[in-house]
Amino acid sequence: MIRVRGIRKAFGKQQVLRGVDFTLPAGQVLVIIGPSGSGKTTLLRCLNLLEVPDHGTLELGNVSFAFTPGAKLRPQDVLSLRKRTGMVFQSFNLFPHMTALGNVIEAQVTVQKKRKSEAEETARLLLGKVGLADRADYYPHKLSGGQQQRVAIARAMALEPEVLLFDEPTSALDPELAGEVLKVMKQLAAEGLTMVIVTHLMKFAEEVADHVLLMDEGLIVEEGPPHEVFRNPKSSRAAQFLSVLTD
Amino acid sequence: MSDRQIQIVTDSFWPLLKAGVLYTIPLSLITFALGLLLAIVTALARMYAWAPLRWVAGFYVWIIRGTPLLVQLFIIFFGLPMVGLTLDAYPSAIIGFSLSVGAYGSEIVRAAIVSIQKGQWEAAYSLGMTRVQALRRIILPQAARVSVPPLGNSFIGLVKDTSLAAVITFAEMFRRAQQIVATTYEPLLLYCEVAVIYLLFSTVLSVLQNVSERYLERYSAS
Ligand SMILES: Nc1ncnc2c1ncn2[C@@H]1O[C@H](COP(=O)(O)OP(=O)(O)OP(=O)(O)O)[C@@H](O)[C@H]1O
Ligand SMILES: [Mg+2]
Repeated sequence: MIRVRGIRKAFGKQQVLRGVDFTLPAGQVLVIIGPSGSGKTTLLRCLNLLEVPDHGTLELGNVSFAFTPGAKLRPQDVLSLRKRTGMVFQSFNLFPHMTALGNVIEAQVTVQKKRKSEAEETARLLLGKVGLADRADYYPHKLSGGQQQRVAIARAMALEPEVLLFDEPTSALDPELAGEVLKVMKQLAAEGLTMVIVTHLMKFAEEVADHVLLMDEGLIVEEGPPHEVFRNPKSSRAAQFLSVLTD
Repeated sequence: MSDRQIQIVTDSFWPLLKAGVLYTIPLSLITFALGLLLAIVTALARMYAWAPLRWVAGFYVWIIRGTPLLVQLFIIFFGLPMVGLTLDAYPSAIIGFSLSVGAYGSEIVRAAIVSIQKGQWEAAYSLGMTRVQALRRIILPQAARVSVPPLGNSFIGLVKDTSLAAVITFAEMFRRAQQIVATTYEPLLLYCEVAVIYLLFSTVLSVLQNVSERYLERYSAS
């Protein structure tokens, strides 16, 4: 379970997150939508401390943080949180000097100190899960964007994180290649993985989400189950954003 | 060319080449290896170390890059004995050239590290890696590939620069040529001959450089 309370974050003078709260029970999928610049990426990055919030609290399983400006986090706490979260980036960020298999093995050996043979077994299993068992020995630049992103998903799952974070995982892909990534994500959702997904794809969001957050200017302006948020938005800001999106 | 001159050129070819193979090449390889190590340590120190160490590293690069290599060699070989530190020509040359490779190389290594996309760091961090783990496993291997071409150029430059060791009496190839000139009085011939051998060395190295670059390209992201 993830619990976030009063998360605030500024870059210089610009307040990007202005008090965000949500709770995501284990096994559920949270989709975050909102206009460009509303703070979706920043919020996601706060969840694994790629960005450190200025204020608020963050709990994931049994690790918890209370943020205050300028306070230093204990490095071992940060590492422990990151091991419990997996992140999938918009631009894949695979390690180009390692094969698909190497990418998925890497953290298991370097971070978890697993034996190589054991890590390889897990990696092959995960690559199979994302439909790339036959591409294990390919270097990233020999893979299509959709395949690269699926390797990235397998890599993010390698440490068996409690939650997977996705930042517009298909926005760099052609619709056709995006489809194969979305299919994998739907399958993971059906298997009961806890996921936080930033996306602009409404149809997909409606299919996988248990809960939707609509952000605007660093605040949650609308939230609820997808059919409610999408069909009957309560706020005018949400209605306006959704009308633009469904056009 | 007279018969005598042809004789001198052919007679001196093997002694010169031998000096090149026995001294110029080993001096280059040893100093390049030591210098590269120093370059990596210096680059990392300048980027990530505790502030005083960062200053030491910056100071070192500033001194070495700001003064002529020839003067540095003179200080090490002729100057240091004045404070009781007498070194033979070979170790003096190794120290002088290694310091030089270390300083210039650190800039190459630093630029290569900086050139690796931020997303690579973030992917490593998101998997729970520490900074040291991310550097060792993710960033440095990629930076190494990026720095192969400029380091290759440095190595070729170094092979030629080792001729400076002649002035501190080290018997590398150029010094050998000077010695032969002293007995044959044919400076034009001998210095051109030694130039041709240096050219031979650099050409072979350039070819090796191209081959290694093409090899690395096969694995680099496009
Ligand atoms: N590292 C940073 N330094 C300064 N400003 C930043 C930084 N990261 C984000 N911002 C700013 O914070 C605001 C929110 O950015 P964020 O990337 O979170 O938005 P987003 O909702 O993900 O937008 P998009 O849909 O375009 O991806 C933007 O105005 C952005 O310019
Ligand atoms: Mg974003």
